[in-house]
Amino acid sequence: MTQFDPICEKCEELIQPYLDRELSETERVEAEGHLAGCGYCNTRYRFEVSLRRYVRQACCSEEMSPELKARLASLRTPLA
Amino acid sequence: MAEAETDARRLATEARDRVRFEEEVLGLADQVYRVARRLVPSREEAEDLVQETYARAFRSWRSYTPGTNLRAWLMRILTNLNIDRGRREQRSPVMQPMEEGDYFLYNRLEESSGPDDEERIVERLSQDSIVDALSNVPHDFRDVIVLVDIGDFSYQEAAQILDVPIGTVMSRLHRGRRILKGQLAEAAVGEES
Repeated sequence: MTQFDPICEKCEELIQPYLDRELSETERVEAEGHLAGCGYCNTRYRFEVSLRRYVRQACCSEEMSPELKARLASLRTPLA
Repeated sequence: MAEAETDARRLATEARDRVRFEEEVLGLADQVYRVARRLVPSREEAEDLVQETYARAFRSWRSYTPGTNLRAWLMRILTNLNIDRGRREQRSPVMQPMEEGDYFLYNRLEESSGPDDEERIVERLSQDSIVDALSNVPHDFRDVIVLVDIGDFSYQEAAQILDVPIGTVMSRLHRGRRILKGQLAEAAVGEES
């Protein structure tokens, strides 16, 4: 179970805000430089990208019903 | 006479602004629904919540400042209504092996399959198990995950919507994603057996 130890300490603190596009320009360049050179972080990064995409896909699969859409439109102020 | 004309013009401008506002708000309905659907447990509750949000938004349209973030303004109404009505289900806090934290899910998935293409590993999880895992995340954490990951709001916007400091958004997001991954890891093990 030693694989649970973070192999790279920088990994999480970089990857999450990087994926959220919340790093400053300097931090972003630093993160990209690190990702390019660290195999571990790179693997984890690709995993995170696909996980987020997958979660999003699963959680957004249910569309709003046309009935609700019509009800919302009916709440509009009637034109005088 | 001149006064009556000014009044008429003012009313016409207001009516035009209002129509434009309502059209913009309706154009965001799909996005609002997607967020609402993950904040509450059922489709019916999500529909009620969205409908109430729209009723309130149309009523209080004057409090919206044109040119500011309409999506965030709407979402703030929605999250406030959700909290006010106490409709969100309270779940007991989920205890996770936090020390394994962020590495847990990946390792668990990789362990059960051997080294794999990163893009394929996640496909071991069913879509239902992902939806369940998210709904099991305690609401304070889930709200932030839903706003940022599904609603595409920035940390700053999420902070304004939920009326908490940005640091709170960041820590809840961090913790919430860990809990979510812990839940997914449990689900992955469950699906194997």
